[in-house]
Amino acid sequence: MTADKALVRAWSRAQSRVGRRQARPVILLGVLGTGLAIGQAWCIAVVLARALTWGVSARAVQPGQHAFAAGPGWTPLAVFALLAVFRAVLQVRQETRAAGTAAASRRRLRDGALASILSRGPALLRVEAGGALTALVVDRIEALDGFFGRWIPAASLAVASPALVLAAVCVVQPRAAVVLLLCGLAVPASQALFGIGAALAARQQFTAMARLQARFLDRVRGIATIVLAGRAEDESRRLGVAADELRRRTMRVLRVAFLSSAALDCAFAVALVLIALLDGRTLLGRSTMPSAAGPVLLPHSLFALILVPEFFAPLRSFALAYQDRMQAAGAAVALDTLARAPADTPPPPAPGPSAIRTVAAHGVAVAFEQVGFTWDASRGPVLADVSFRIPARETVVLVGPSGSGKSTLIEMLLGFVAPDAGRITLNGADIATVVPDALSQMTGWIGQRPLLFAGSIRHNGLGARPDAAGAELAAALRAAAVDGFAALLPDGLDTRIGEGGYGLSGGQAQRVAIARAFLRNAPLLLLDEPTAHLDPVTEGEILDSLKRLAVGRTVLLASHSSAAHAFPGRRIHLSRGHVVQSEGVPA
Amino acid sequence: MTDRVSRLSSRPVLTVLFLWRRRLPGLALGVLASLAALLAGLALVAFSGLRLAGTGAGLVLASALLLRLLGIGRVLLRYGERLLTHDAMFRALADLRVWFFRSLARTAAGGIGFRRSGDLLSRLVGDVEALDGLYLRVIVPLAGAVLAFPLLFLLALRQGPALAVVVAALFAASVFLLPILAARLVRRDAGLLSGRASELRVSVLDLVGGLREIRAFNAEHRMLAAVRSREQALLSLQQVLARKAALAGAASFLCQQMAVLAVLAALAGLAFGRIRPMEGALLLFALLAAFEFAVGLARAGVLAGHMRHAAARVVQAGELPPGTTVQRLGTAVLPQGHALRLRDVTFRWQADRPAVFEHLTLDIPQGTRVAILGPSGSGKSSLAALLLRVAVPQGGQITLGGVDLASVDEAVLRSRIAWLSQSTHLFADTVRANLLLGRPDATDAQLWSALDQAGIGDTVRALPEALETWLGEGGTGLSGGQARRIALARTLLSPAPILILDEPATGLDAEAEQAFLSTLNEAVSGRTVILIAHRLTGVERLDRIWRLAGGHASAAAA
Repeated sequence: MTADKALVRAWSRAQSRVGRRQARPVILLGVLGTGLAIGQAWCIAVVLARALTWGVSARAVQPGQHAFAAGPGWTPLAVFALLAVFRAVLQVRQETRAAGTAAASRRRLRDGALASILSRGPALLRVEAGGALTALVVDRIEALDGFFGRWIPAASLAVASPALVLAAVCVVQPRAAVVLLLCGLAVPASQALFGIGAALAARQQFTAMARLQARFLDRVRGIATIVLAGRAEDESRRLGVAADELRRRTMRVLRVAFLSSAALDCAFAVALVLIALLDGRTLLGRSTMPSAAGPVLLPHSLFALILVPEFFAPLRSFALAYQDRMQAAGAAVALDTLARAPADTPPPPAPGPSAIRTVAAHGVAVAFEQVGFTWDASRGPVLADVSFRIPARETVVLVGPSGSGKSTLIEMLLGFVAPDAGRITLNGADIATVVPDALSQMTGWIGQRPLLFAGSIRHNGLGARPDAAGAELAAALRAAAVDGFAALLPDGLDTRIGEGGYGLSGGQAQRVAIARAFLRNAPLLLLDEPTAHLDPVTEGEILDSLKRLAVGRTVLLASHSSAAHAFPGRRIHLSRGHVVQSEGVPA
Repeated sequence: MTDRVSRLSSRPVLTVLFLWRRRLPGLALGVLASLAALLAGLALVAFSGLRLAGTGAGLVLASALLLRLLGIGRVLLRYGERLLTHDAMFRALADLRVWFFRSLARTAAGGIGFRRSGDLLSRLVGDVEALDGLYLRVIVPLAGAVLAFPLLFLLALRQGPALAVVVAALFAASVFLLPILAARLVRRDAGLLSGRASELRVSVLDLVGGLREIRAFNAEHRMLAAVRSREQALLSLQQVLARKAALAGAASFLCQQMAVLAVLAALAGLAFGRIRPMEGALLLFALLAAFEFAVGLARAGVLAGHMRHAAARVVQAGELPPGTTVQRLGTAVLPQGHALRLRDVTFRWQADRPAVFEHLTLDIPQGTRVAILGPSGSGKSSLAALLLRVAVPQGGQITLGGVDLASVDEAVLRSRIAWLSQSTHLFADTVRANLLLGRPDATDAQLWSALDQAGIGDTVRALPEALETWLGEGGTGLSGGQARRIALARTLLSPAPILILDEPATGLDAEAEQAFLSTLNEAVSGRTVILIAHRLTGVERLDRIWRLAGGHASAAAA
C-alpha cells in the first residue's frame, strides 16, 4: 500500500512535469485572462466611482469635485467591452488548448501502453486478462482526461493568477492587498489542517466507491446466473444495502472533506467583508472632512473589492480539480506495472527489411536439442531435456495431457518465448539468431480458438498477407472450404464478423484460420489443438482440410484428442515436460 | 408503475427523474439549501459593494453586523448545501442502480442476461455512473438561475423598464438559452461519441486478444495503425465537442459581460436614462455575483447532451424487448413431480432467423439422467433456454410435472431447476458467498460436502482462508478447471431436483473432464440430470441419450 502510494506520487510527479511543459500555453492563457479581468475591474471601478461621486456632487456639496463629477465618458466602457471580447477569445483558446494537451497526453500514454503490450507479446496473456488490459488502455487512460486537462493547469494557475491579482491590488490599495494575501494564505493553511484528513478520507472513499462500482459491474455481468438461481430479488436488496452503507460512510468522510471547501468560502467572505468594512471606514472618515481624498480612493477600494472573486476563483478550480488527481492514482499503478514488468520475452520485433536467413524453397527441418523451460519457478519446469527432430516436409504429432508442455513447445517455435536451456534449430540455424520477421514469415500457426479480428471475412483472410491478389485469396478460401458457408451469410465474404457483427461457429472460424494459413503459404505449419472445441462431425471435416494444408510442409501438431490420431506422421508422447515415448508412422 | 416508466421512456431523462421521485424531499431540500446559499452569497457581495459605494456619498447603507451575518450565513449555508445535495444524490444514484439491476433481472427472462455480452453490460454500468452529474451539475445550478432571474429583473426594473428588459434578456440568454443551444449542438456528436469509443475498444481488444496472431503474422504495425486511427477518430470528435463547449461558454460569458456593460452605461448616464447610483451599484454587484455562480451552466448544457444519451441507453436496457412477456404469477397448481415434457415445440430466437426447433417432442422422466447431443448450432443451448424459460416457444407446449411451464410461478421454477453452463459466473466475492448463491441456508458441512463432490474440496482446504478466500472477478486466482468445479459445487449444493448441465466440461483437459463426469455419476443420485454436450467421453452413466439434428430429437441407445 505504501509502495503503491510512493509509486503514485512518483508517477504523478513525472507526468506533471511532462504535462506542465505541454500545458504551458494553457497556463499562460489563463494568466493573461486574469490580467484582462484586472483591467475590466478597473473600468468598472472607475465608472462606478464617478457615478457615485456624481451623485454627491449633484447635491452640490463639494465645489472642488466638479472636475470629477463630469460624466466618465465612453472610454472605460469601450475598454471594458474590448477586454470582454478579448477575454472570451482567450477563454475559448485556453479551453480548446487544454483539451488538446489532454488528448495529446492520453495519446502518448496509450502509445506507451500499447508498445509495452506488443513488446511483451503473447506471454503477457499468461499474466494478465485481455479484458483488463483493454480496460486499462481504453477506459482508464481516457479517464486521465481531467488529470491533464484540468488538474495540471489548475495547479499552476492556483498560484500564478492570485499572485497577479495581488500585485495589481497592491499597487493601488496596499491595505486591501494585505487582507487578500492573509486570507489567501489561510486557504493552504486550512487545506493543510483539514486537507490531510480530507485527502486521506477522500482516498478511502474513492476506493470504497470503486469497490461498489466493481461489485455492481460484477453482479450485472453475472445477472443470468443470479436470475436462474432465483436470487434476483435477494441480490438487488443486498446491492441497495451496500450502496446505502457506502453512502453513509461517504457522508461521514465528506463532512470533514467539505470543511476545506468551507474554509475557502470563509476566506472569501472574510476578505470581502474586511475590505468593505476597513476601506469603507477610511473613506467615510475622509469624506466627512473637507479635505477629503475620497473620490481618489473610492475607485481603488472598489477595484480591490471587485477583484476578490477573481482572486479566489483559481483556488476554487484547484480544489475542484483535486478529484481528477485522485482518479489518476489507479491508472498510475496499472500503467507502471505494465511498463515495468520483466521483459523475459525476446525483444520486440524490429521493423525493417526482412532478412530471411533460412531458405524456404526446400522446406524447413526443425530440431529441439535438450530444450528446457520454466514459466514459474515455484511450479517447476514445464519442459526438461526435450529433444526430437522433424525432418523437412514431415509431420510430427505431439500427444499428451494438457499441461504437459505441448503449447510451450509451439510457442517457442513461434518465437513467443525462448528456451531457458538447450536450443532449437531451423535448418541448422539457432532460432535465436533468426530475425523475428523472417521467423514469422516461415511459420503458419493455427491455435485452439483462432482469433478473428473485427471486420469482414475478406479482411480476416487478408490479415495473413495484406498484399495477396484477389485470385490468391479466392483460392485459399476455396481450399479451406470457407466459400461454402460464406455464400450463405448475409453479405458473403463482406459480412462483418466479430464484435457487433455476425458470429461464426467454432468450425467456421477455424476454416477462416485455415484459409489464412493457406494464403500465408509458410513452409512450417504449427497446429495447437486445432479441433479441441469442435463436435466430432466438424472435427473430421476440419482435419480433412488440415491434411490438405499439410501437404508439402513441415508440420508440428499438438493434440490430446483421439481424432488427431487420424493425422499421419510420427508421434511424440509428452508427459510433465518429458518425452516419454516416440513412435514411427502408423500405417 | 411499470407502465408509467415505459410510457415515459421516450424521454429518458424524465424517466430517470421519475425513478427518483421517492427521493423528492431530499432532493428538493438540497435545492432549497442551495438557493438559500445563493441568496446569502448574492446579498453578501451586493451589500459589501453597497457599503463601500455608500461611502462615496458619506452614507452607511449596510451595517457591519449585517455583513458579518451574511458572511457567516453564506459559509454555513454552503456547507449545509454541499452535505444535503451530495447525500440526496447518493441516495438517488443507489436507487437508480438497484432499479437498473432489477429491470435487467426482470428482462433477463426475456433473454437479455442470457445472451448479451458482458462488455455491453459494462458500458451500461458506465452510463449509470454518468448520470451522477444530472442533479448536482444540471438541476441544482438551474434552480439557482431560475431564482436569480426574477430578482435581477426586479432590481433592474426599479431603474427603468428598458434596462430591466435588456439585463433580463441577456441573463436569460446566458443561463437558459445558451445551455439549451449547447445541448442541441452536441446532441449528434454525443451520440457518436460512445460509438467511437466502442470502436477503439474493439480494436484494442483485437490487438490484445490477438497478440499471438499478430506476432505470427507480423501484423504489429498494421494493428497499431488500426488502433491509432480509431483513437484519432475518437480524440478529434472529443476535440470538436470541447470546442463547441468552449464556444458555448464564451457566448454565455459575453452575454453576461454585455449585461454588466448595460448597467455600467446606465450608471455613467450614457444610456437608459440616468439611474440612481446606489441602486445601480447594488444591481451591478448582484449581477456580478449571479454570473459568477451561473458561469458553469453553458457547460452543464453540454453535459446534459451527454446525459441524455446515457439515460436513453440505461432506460432502454431496463425495458422488455418487444414481443416478450413477463409471467411472474403462475397458477395456484403446483407442478406434481419433476417430469419434463416437450410436445410439438417450435422455436426461433428472432422472427427473421430460421427456426431452431420444429415440432420437437422430447420426454425427460423424473429422476432420469439424459444426455442431449448434437453438433454446434443444433440448438442444445436453446433447449436449455426453453427449459429455464429464458425463452418462450412460439408453438407447442412444455410441461413440468404436468403443468404448463409458462404458467409455473417464477420462484417455483427457479427452485426446481438448477443450471450450470459455460457462462455461469463466479462473483468477485468469497468462496462461501459464491456457494451460498445456490442455497442461502446451507450449513458449513453441506458446503464442504458439495465442494468434495465437485472434487475441489482439498484445493479449497489448502487455501489460506479456506471458505473465506476472496475470488477475484470472474474467479481469477483459480485455474479455469478449478473455477468450473466451484461452479459445479454451487449447482450441486442447490436443492433443485432438476440439474441442467450445459457443456460442463468446457475448458477442462481430457483427464480432468473424465474425473469431473465421474463425480457427477455419484453426486446427483435421485435427481434429474440433463447433460448437454457435443460428445460423450464414455464415463457418463446415462438412462437415455437424445441426439438433436435439424430441429428434431431422436433417441439413441444409452
